[in-house]
Amino acid sequence: MTTTARVQGRVLAQRLAEAQATIAALLSGQIDAVIDPQTKTPVLLAKAQASLRESEERYRRIVETTSEGIGTLDSEAKFTFVNRRLSELLGYPTEQIVGSPLSRFTRPAALSESPLGAAAASAEVELGFVRHDGSELWALLKASPILDAEGNRAGTLVMLSDRTRHREDAAALRKTEEQYRQIVEATAEGIMKVDSAARLVFVNRRLAAMLGYEAAAMLGLSVSAFMTSPGAQVLARSLEGGRARMGPVDTTFRRKDGTELAVNVAATALFDAEGRDVGSLAMVRDVTERKKLESQLIVSDRMASVGTLAAGVAHEINNPLAVVIANLDYVGAESASGIVTDGPSEIQVALADAVEAAERVRLIVRDLKIFSRAPSDDPTTAVNVRTLLESSLRMGWNEIRHRARLEVSYGTVPDVEANEARLGQVFLNLIVNAAQALPEGRAEAHRIDVSTRLEGERVVVTVRDTGRGIAPEDLERIFDAFFTTKGAGAGAGLGLTICQRLVRDMDGELTVESVLGKGATFRVFLPVARPAERAQRRAPAPVAIAGRRPRILVVDDEPMVRQAVQRILAKSYDVVGAVSAKQALAWCASGEHFDLVLCDLMMPDMNGMDLHGELGRTCASRIGRMLFMTGGAFTEPAQRFLSQLEEDHLEKPFSPATLRAIVEKYVG
Amino acid sequence: MGKVIKKKRKKPAPALVLRLYVAGNAPNSVRAITNARAICDEHYPARYVLEIVDLIEHPDTAMADGIIVTPTLLKLQPQPVRRVVGNLDDTAQVLLTLVAT
Repeated sequence: MTTTARVQGRVLAQRLAEAQATIAALLSGQIDAVIDPQTKTPVLLAKAQASLRESEERYRRIVETTSEGIGTLDSEAKFTFVNRRLSELLGYPTEQIVGSPLSRFTRPAALSESPLGAAAASAEVELGFVRHDGSELWALLKASPILDAEGNRAGTLVMLSDRTRHREDAAALRKTEEQYRQIVEATAEGIMKVDSAARLVFVNRRLAAMLGYEAAAMLGLSVSAFMTSPGAQVLARSLEGGRARMGPVDTTFRRKDGTELAVNVAATALFDAEGRDVGSLAMVRDVTERKKLESQLIVSDRMASVGTLAAGVAHEINNPLAVVIANLDYVGAESASGIVTDGPSEIQVALADAVEAAERVRLIVRDLKIFSRAPSDDPTTAVNVRTLLESSLRMGWNEIRHRARLEVSYGTVPDVEANEARLGQVFLNLIVNAAQALPEGRAEAHRIDVSTRLEGERVVVTVRDTGRGIAPEDLERIFDAFFTTKGAGAGAGLGLTICQRLVRDMDGELTVESVLGKGATFRVFLPVARPAERAQRRAPAPVAIAGRRPRILVVDDEPMVRQAVQRILAKSYDVVGAVSAKQALAWCASGEHFDLVLCDLMMPDMNGMDLHGELGRTCASRIGRMLFMTGGAFTEPAQRFLSQLEEDHLEKPFSPATLRAIVEKYVG
Repeated sequence: MGKVIKKKRKKPAPALVLRLYVAGNAPNSVRAITNARAICDEHYPARYVLEIVDLIEHPDTAMADGIIVTPTLLKLQPQPVRRVVGNLDDTAQVLLTLVAT
């Protein structure tokens, strides 16, 4: 009992001590909570509550200082809370946001299109908002449900982060991309991208147009759809070889309609970051025009070679030709004087044919020489346009007569400053072109008009046809070298190019106008001849010869030329022939007297120029005039020499009439 | 032989078993937890068990243990059960309670 009492007493003392300690702890503020004995639930003391508020304050600070906009929505999607950042983002004061639905701040319809409209568990979506000031805000909105104690949805927590900057970056990127796209679409080159299985993943419009497809319709196509086998092989070979680049190579593609297209392709293999082959990018150029030009250049090269050859052999051809022409004339004159018949005899006809044939040889050689001529080869003189036109029309008559009626109208015009041979070539070319623009066999339906008139300081020669005319796009290029509307092989496309060059060399102008279906009109504008200069350039007065036959010395290493000249001139003059310049020089030095020396320009040993110099120095008093005959193969010094002479020169082959006329001019 | 090793390795029974009642993270409660750990670590290193019970979450356990305020530290072992009320700032008083019989 005593023990029990003692124990009891100790427990009691203990309880008391504990109670005292509890009270002391309470008084010293060391207690957070007490248990309410009635309700048996814990009750937090005021200080602890303050502490909890502090804790809440901590969370609130976090919520308020975060860079994300945070808010809560009730079950009707109206804001119940927003942090400062959200109010900043939207540009509305907090009190205007709380109580308003989220949809008030988004762009119209933005919300209904987003998954937020549905009662999704949580969602993340980029949304457009409209700020209070009307500006636009793009934000990433994360929504998570707020659940109550029973797990029912009580509202939504939303977090907004500003994506406007991202959006702007993306817009800038799109702009750059657009720029590249424009470049790709505007370039004259076709561009395509193929995957590793050689299927098209991109084509620009240019390539699609080249191949006759719609760009969109080409995507997914295999390149074999338009690459002909050689083309496909080239591409495949280069890309299989693992080479990074291919080409550029010329190949052929097939258009959708089956026709072929000449192209030049350069390809670059594409690799991904791991170095795997992901296809290739190819640039395709339409080289149809280039190919055409190349083939024309080959033609023109050939023409130039012919020209070089022609120039080289001109001398060789012209000498014998001169002989042929001179002798034909001589024979013709002799036989005509001896035979009197009613009509032309068989011999006369044969001779006329031979003369015509020889003339054709002369023209052919002259035309070929065009391709190797220098502009300075053609000194200008006063040319009677009418005479020249008449001659050209005669030469072109064979072309004209089956195709058109010819109407000629010559105005009164002065002489023009031109090179007669070249101008004649221009006229003939225009006349033949006009004729060829007309169909054969309907001569009554078509007309070629040729006219001359004076226009200010220039003489205008017009050649007009009533043919099909020239298309406007062709008109721009009609004077371009190698441009031709005639079929392949009909011409190199050089005729009008040469005409224009010749006319320009004579300070003239060649123009064209045409209405499709109504024919074409070519006009040659030529400067009026310069009379003052002409007087100076004109040969001095003929050598005065009193009461005797003039003496002429013919110097040529070609005996036949020498003999032909002698034969032509023998009737009116005493003609002596020398086989070389040295022989001629020796005769003159020995005291022989000549009124005229007719001399070949190019001769072996001593040439005509050297002879001219020697004679001038040693026996000028015994020599009247010196005229040169040339075979056409000029050297540069010879060219200069001839242009410095006062006298004209004779180009071989010359007709007997020409020879007689020029000799008369100087000897009288 | 294995038994001997086992005996040697056997973790010794904790000298001290404590239960601390707190009220959430209220300041005195947090302080009491910190103090209790510090005292035990210093005077009963690795030989104690400290159980922390939140009064708010487990009011029934608290009632059963006769807790009326928090923080309260209960010494469950060794017997007899003793308690210290308050934030345990007074280390000397806490130690006296722990060694008291």
